[in-house]
Amino acid sequence: MKMKKFINNPENLAVELLEGMAAAYADKIKLEDGKIVARAKPKAQDKVAVITLGGAGHEPALSGFVGEGMLDASVVGDIFAAPNAPAVLNALRKFKRDAGILLVVLNHAGDVMSSNMAMKMAQREGIKVKPVLVAEDISAGLDAPKADRRGLAGCIPLIKVAGAAAEEGKSLDEVCRIAESFNSKIATLAVAMTGCTHPQNGTPISELADDEMEIGMGQHGEGGGGRTKILTADETAKTMFKNLAKALGVKSGDRLFVIINGTGASSPMELAVVFRAVKKCAEEIGAAVAGGIIDELLTVQEMAGYQMILCVLDAESEKYLKAKSNAPYWTCLGE
Amino acid sequence: MQNLNLESLKKMFALAASTISENEAELCRLDAACGDGDHGVAIKGALCAAHEALQSAADLKNGICDAGFAAMSNSNGSTSSIYGSLLMGVSDGVKDGAESLSAEELASAFQAGLDSMRATVKGDVGDKTVFDALIPAIEAMRGANSVSELFERAAAAAKKGAESTRNLRARFGRAHNLAEKSVGTLDPGAVSNAMIF
Repeated sequence: MKMKKFINNPENLAVELLEGMAAAYADKIKLEDGKIVARAKPKAQDKVAVITLGGAGHEPALSGFVGEGMLDASVVGDIFAAPNAPAVLNALRKFKRDAGILLVVLNHAGDVMSSNMAMKMAQREGIKVKPVLVAEDISAGLDAPKADRRGLAGCIPLIKVAGAAAEEGKSLDEVCRIAESFNSKIATLAVAMTGCTHPQNGTPISELADDEMEIGMGQHGEGGGGRTKILTADETAKTMFKNLAKALGVKSGDRLFVIINGTGASSPMELAVVFRAVKKCAEEIGAAVAGGIIDELLTVQEMAGYQMILCVLDAESEKYLKAKSNAPYWTCLGE
Repeated sequence: MQNLNLESLKKMFALAASTISENEAELCRLDAACGDGDHGVAIKGALCAAHEALQSAADLKNGICDAGFAAMSNSNGSTSSIYGSLLMGVSDGVKDGAESLSAEELASAFQAGLDSMRATVKGDVGDKTVFDALIPAIEAMRGANSVSELFERAAAAAKKGAESTRNLRARFGRAHNLAEKSVGTLDPGAVSNAMIF
């Protein structure tokens, strides 16, 4: 099948990309046991460790956010496939500590299965670990149960908030509470103009007609159902913002943090135009955009589109969101 | 075959691993219709690892447990957890030091495997997942008079269950996000399960 990508043997893709990242940012991150990305300088043992797991192919997420103030480690599976339970257990053993471990799990079937099995085995060994499930995608509908919602790029600000709280020395219960509180104030919706190809087998995922776009597209190209003819940046952003604001119950006076996360093939130019539209939408309902990011944090190969992430801030989350981090791909905020 | 011993189990896994390997591309193609086209790779990884681990096994109970752990460790995504927890659960249902299993003992071991898997993996018949083949297959095992009959019944039920996924709407896994689009395609996990039996 025709696929234009700079790759070698597809079977080695996940390891090779992690080796590349670790080589480029060797002062910040290192690769352990094949596919665990950890901090070059480990955090003190008396602080809560924050770990996540997930498939590769979404770079820089999740491993690009390992660093001071964010993750202690990310456990990587294969392209678009969760790491297996023994791999997650191995990471939990490595980071075993009295302070405990927060495991950030994105709501995808494979990730949830592996983390549940690994946590069960870890707890049997006396490892203190608590999960936080990110399921902030609203494309399944505003009344959809959490189990039916996917975890999208909203995991990145959540990792930022939880990571900063852990760095500050908060207890596991406190870090959990702070993470869950922020978790309930994030919502994400994605839009795609094109599908993408699976980089290991060249399979086209979710093909869209030349004049179509789809609101609700997931991060492996799974559809969300909202196919329409292509709309302008403002029209698209308005539709998405309206649903996100409704999901979060945004009201006049709220302070919002907005992320426009490019999924691979939409230019920074387009993403900036979208951000402008979101700011206008927020102002129309009396809410303020107190900060934001235009970047590629979590990508879907060469998919054209973006994920719009809305976070309703409070004093606590704003402080942690804006705290310093040296994670290689968290380049936007902090003094 | 009246009873199942370690030698015949090894042969069955060899056959299952080679059947899945031959059909790797076909399973990927099915998966691409409503997933991301990698199921063939994942199930081949799990089955081949289980087969290899079993070859050096000295007894049934530990052999099946090792096969389950190998399936879990050498594959990624949901497939690793599904087959890993199933096989390790089956092993829990086998008596220590058992040299062979009657059809009745094997059926109850599979039931233990299913129970253990369902503690980790959500889903039921009708959700367009591996369960559509696996649950009827394990139910069909009950009451078989020989191990040969048990696997014949399981294979027929799994095949029928896999076929039934064509008209189902996905409720779990990645395909559930495709909702109506998934109707009309076979679930690759159910199909590969039918091939294994």
